[in-house]
Amino acid sequence: MASNDRVRVRGVTIHRPVIYGNTAWVLTPKEREALPSSDHTHRWTVAVRSAASSPDSDIVGGADDLSYFIKRVTFKLHDTYPNPNRNVDKPPFEVSETGWGEFEITIRINFVTESGEKAVTFYHHLKLHPWTASGSGEPEIPSLEAAAKAGPVHSWQYDEIVFNDPYQIFLNILTAHPPTPLPKHKRRPIPFHTANPASLEASKGGTPEFTQEMEREEAERLEKALKTIVEDTHKWRNKLIEKENESNRLKKELEAALQS
Amino acid sequence: MAASAADVRSILAIPEPPAAGSSQPAKKPQGTERAKKPEGIPRELYALIGPHVPTLTAQFTKPRLKQKPNLAGGGRVKWHVPPTWEWRPFKNGARSDGLRLSHWTKAGTDPETDYQFAKYNIQGTPYVYTHEEYTRLLDDSSWTKEETDYLFNLVREYDGRFYVVHDRYEYPNGPQRSLEDLKERYFGVCRRLIRNRPWIGDEASKKALLDSLTFDKDREVARKDYVASLEHRTPEQITEEDALYLELEKLKENERRFRKDRDELLRTLCGIESGLPDIQVDEDGLAGATFDTKKKKKGVAGSVEPQTPVTPSANTVIALPQPQPKKTSAKSAAYGASPATHLLHLEPTIVVDALHCIVRTEVEQTSSSTKAAHVPVHLRSYKIAQPKAALAPRVTQVLSELGISHSRLVMPTRDNLTKFAALIDAAQQLVEIKKAVDKHDQDIQTTKARLAALRGETVEDGDVPQTPMDVDEGAVDAEGEVDGRAQSVVSTRSVRSRKQGRRSMSVSSVDTTGGPNKRQKQR
Repeated sequence: MASNDRVRVRGVTIHRPVIYGNTAWVLTPKEREALPSSDHTHRWTVAVRSAASSPDSDIVGGADDLSYFIKRVTFKLHDTYPNPNRNVDKPPFEVSETGWGEFEITIRINFVTESGEKAVTFYHHLKLHPWTASGSGEPEIPSLEAAAKAGPVHSWQYDEIVFNDPYQIFLNILTAHPPTPLPKHKRRPIPFHTANPASLEASKGGTPEFTQEMEREEAERLEKALKTIVEDTHKWRNKLIEKENESNRLKKELEAALQS
Repeated sequence: MAASAADVRSILAIPEPPAAGSSQPAKKPQGTERAKKPEGIPRELYALIGPHVPTLTAQFTKPRLKQKPNLAGGGRVKWHVPPTWEWRPFKNGARSDGLRLSHWTKAGTDPETDYQFAKYNIQGTPYVYTHEEYTRLLDDSSWTKEETDYLFNLVREYDGRFYVVHDRYEYPNGPQRSLEDLKERYFGVCRRLIRNRPWIGDEASKKALLDSLTFDKDREVARKDYVASLEHRTPEQITEEDALYLELEKLKENERRFRKDRDELLRTLCGIESGLPDIQVDEDGLAGATFDTKKKKKGVAGSVEPQTPVTPSANTVIALPQPQPKKTSAKSAAYGASPATHLLHLEPTIVVDALHCIVRTEVEQTSSSTKAAHVPVHLRSYKIAQPKAALAPRVTQVLSELGISHSRLVMPTRDNLTKFAALIDAAQQLVEIKKAVDKHDQDIQTTKARLAALRGETVEDGDVPQTPMDVDEGAVDAEGEVDGRAQSVVSTRSVRSRKQGRRSMSVSSVDTTGGPNKRQKQR
């Protein structure tokens, strides 16, 4: 390694868009019979992938191979699973299992040694049951038959892995692999996210895909909210000024009254 | 002499344009084109232009004059019919008092149209600040809050006309203020308010607004001094100045001529190697460079070398715009740094490479580049803005009312996190203001209760005038003593109605609650 490779490139922040989450399918009775543990109702896959989807694949994300900067992904499953710490050292970084319940999966990403970075850890709530609009009157967990009809359940979170002041050698590796940009417009359903309950309808009907439109849509939502808050603040500030004036006036009156 | 385009072609030996069909249809459009020969062009000239250059003919046509104004209001211009006007009242949308004035207007126009000048009645944004904002942001040793309030009221009253404001400015016991003092204070306060309040639009519009509110007092004073000294010159000074100016011009001219002559001489003597800065060579950096190296190689003409340095030509080469190497900064202001803090410092240059997802920030040279300062790898969403712990529940509530999750984003990108941070910031301010309103509400109530208790003992005559009378800002103080009874009754009874502000504090509002209560008290 050349000496200047171990030099950090100051002022550079480079990130890679990834998604993590799971897809779950309801098992058919036949599949259930074939399983050693017959109480399992779902088959699921938890994964860390690149954010963009390949145009012709039926999985969410995964257009790029992330192994150029990820060395290992560890999925820590529920303790009731045999060998709950699953290390995946080569792509695809995913674990498929069957089960009956939802639980929190700890995901740890180790980066290639050139990065000189420690691992990052985060959590994903394994989602097996279909998303429901809260307060819609639908049962929180629909029956298995209904769920099977609705198709696979997707629960994915977009995020960006951010490297600050990377080593020159690592920066070279990263820039040699520019990520596939997200599609500009919606081509497939939107991945549902609890932060945007309104996307429930748009999330139905096939394998979802992350798009730049989602970012814009969220930006607009945030801006709209900000606008409302600022307008509200303006109203309240005027009210406050009025109150302050009144309060001061009354206090003066009180003083005058006390003195007289 | 009539020369058609065909004639010109034959004279210049240009082959006939390749006609698609027979020559007959090709000729025909030419004929029609001819017929439409615009006025103002000699026929010969038009023929020379030929049929294929329509833009030229457009240039040669007579300029169209502006249409005569249609004052009569009719469809056609009829100069012999004088337009009819009538005296008519009109609606002025800019008036708040609904006063109807009349003016002369053309007969036949719609009487219900709004006054055409109403749109010019533009109100400037009134800037107001709370007590808390004043103490936090606007405190200034040379200004009291009362005087600042007074200034802002005047500016509002006179619609930002600072000459009038300055003319009327009479703050009791305050120091003498110049017009610039007033402007500086006013704009300074506005700028600070804008910087520290949440902003809806983008950074550029915020910056534009801030720029529009910039006021440089020293410069303004200097400018006025200059203008004043310019205006106060005596006629003698003016003539002297003119004479001096002429003298200077003459000298300059002389020098120019002298230099030109000298350069010419040198050039004839030494040729291109004279190295003169004023000749064509050094305008072109490359030529200058080659010349420079040539000169070094040969190392001649040292004796003839004029004192004029050669460097100018070399400089032009060096000064070519070079791609600035981007430097580095460990601290990226991009992360969730609130826009307010952003603007307080000089904004760092941020270059974004969307393809590689790289953000480069300028590095402060002073920053010690130690390993301890290194921000380790993380998920972007880790840096999501969080409200202050004390305000968190209420901020969360405000956000959820707007359908925004307080802790998660669908797409936690850099831009969205910045927006989210601004949102949290704004929500926090809102919550703080609401809290302050509640606090003042309580204050007002307790003060009122004390006042009521006090007055209940002291004021015993109790003959309160029952005529409904609006107690307005101005009237309150005047009536405060007389009317104290009525007010105190309101305060103890209808605490809720307080919330509507002091407008509701008319004596008439006592009617329902005041009746029985008053009887009790009078006994």
